[in-house]
Amino acid sequence: MANADHSLQLLAPERPLARVSVTKKLQRGLSRSARRSVAIAAFLALWEIAPRVGLVEPAFLPPLSEVLATGVELTKSGQLLAHIKASLSRSLVGFALAIVYAVPLGLAIGHYRRFAVVVSPLLEAMRNTAALALLPVFILLLGIGEASKIALVVYSCSFPILLNTIAGVKNVDPLLIKSARTLGLSSFQLFRKVILPAAVPTIFVGIRLAGAYSLLVLVAAEMIGAKAGLGYLIIYAQYNFQIPNMYVGILALTAIGLTFNQSLQRVERHFTRWKPAPEEED
Amino acid sequence: MSAQSKIEFVAVSKTFPARSGRPGDAFSALQNVSLQVAAGEFMVLVGPSGCGKSTLLDLLGGLAQPTSGQILLDGEPVTGPGLNRGIVFQQYALFPWRTALENVEFGLEAKGVAKAERREIARSHLDLVGLSGFEGHFPHELSGGMKQRVAIARSLAYNPEVLLMDEPFAALDAQTRETLQDELRSIWEKSRTTILFITHGIDEAICLGQRIAVMTFRPGRIKRIVEVPAELRAATDDVRSQPEFGRLRHEIWQLLQDEVQEAARDERRNKLGTARPARGSSLREVALRG
Repeated sequence: MANADHSLQLLAPERPLARVSVTKKLQRGLSRSARRSVAIAAFLALWEIAPRVGLVEPAFLPPLSEVLATGVELTKSGQLLAHIKASLSRSLVGFALAIVYAVPLGLAIGHYRRFAVVVSPLLEAMRNTAALALLPVFILLLGIGEASKIALVVYSCSFPILLNTIAGVKNVDPLLIKSARTLGLSSFQLFRKVILPAAVPTIFVGIRLAGAYSLLVLVAAEMIGAKAGLGYLIIYAQYNFQIPNMYVGILALTAIGLTFNQSLQRVERHFTRWKPAPEEED
Repeated sequence: MSAQSKIEFVAVSKTFPARSGRPGDAFSALQNVSLQVAAGEFMVLVGPSGCGKSTLLDLLGGLAQPTSGQILLDGEPVTGPGLNRGIVFQQYALFPWRTALENVEFGLEAKGVAKAERREIARSHLDLVGLSGFEGHFPHELSGGMKQRVAIARSLAYNPEVLLMDEPFAALDAQTRETLQDELRSIWEKSRTTILFITHGIDEAICLGQRIAVMTFRPGRIKRIVEVPAELRAATDDVRSQPEFGRLRHEIWQLLQDEVQEAARDERRNKLGTARPARGSSLREVALRG
């Protein structure tokens, strides 16, 4: 039985074993990170070599080293940082606004069944309207400045957060609710002490998805109408045939996306410490 | 009798509306159940699955209202849930985001006990169930038996007058179950909390109960109440090997046999998807559906 195994593990003192294997652990960690970087290294090597040996046209895909050199140049001139700042502030503001309003709204919708019946069809319709299709509407209503882009980010971040929050509240183990109810908890206490903590992991799934969406739609929006931002940098560089610049923009996006996701994961882990540790897969 | 009863069921019936919505298909879970449990008594309810044991417990817990009849606690009708009753569930129902200690504190928080005192009470109850040193463990880090110990500690911590246990050991392996049965008995002997313990295990019923109420299959009624002789309860080592244990076991087994067979027939009928006239429903009703 799995349970029995578990208790044995618990009771058996693990310390002495751990002390012996410190160096082994280090070795294992190193070989693990080596294994994890094989594919990336191969990809980067291919990027460097393919244009040099003529497998692809170097004008369209410059070797990695050339892209990186351009990156250094753009960083020194301050251009890259300006674009990153523009994009990051838009997506972070939009993302934060979405969290601030969508989590409480989702909690309310999930908790009050009658409210859910009324708003669900509208939510479903809005969710299935591609966010980018609404960009012209936002531009008409809010102008071409920051507001319309931030609004677009807020809009597209809302749905993963809302839907996951609603699901999190609705799918709390009924036994936990029953068990708390037998203690005569008021419905407010029940919500605060049982439903909310039980829903936290599901809410975080939505927040993490929203984090990814916030960059995705923003870049698209910046390609359509903007004077700064990574999306603008990428599309503008392509128009002007500054191909290395374009790739710098793309790599910057990759780096931001990775950092964003990792920080969100860290926050998530902090709030869900009580869950069994997931297999490392990031 | 009602004056000194801790718990009293007076002609309690519970009917659930049928899924079909037709009143004739209403499902009768409990029918005319009358039962008295004295203060400090350890009463066990045995019955096949589907005999309404859990419904009975929901009613006593104040989570549901009987269709007819009354449930009295110290002579007062039960109107809702409260901290004078503690329930231990088969599936532990621990809050996974709380440590063992915080789980035990839960009921005390609901009661409004101050933090420092809460800590202390919770600690001593974890100690009572043999889990000192596991205060900071989360439920997923504990074995099934340990989880159930935490759940028992949680229910005892806020000092309810009545402890209701819904097949608490059914999900555990045989060894853990026996250990926990022994521990529960010794905890009860010390605390003398009134316990209503639900099980479908005959051995478990005899090992634990002072009296055993045998229930019928659907609709649940009390078929008979069997008393466990004091000398059997006094036996210290290996109660199960006593001849009296065997005799009692057989008696209860026979009482249950018809009910178990009825339950099996019912399951087959349900699997085949044919309508089942509820046992105890009037002939006229059957004829109408005819």
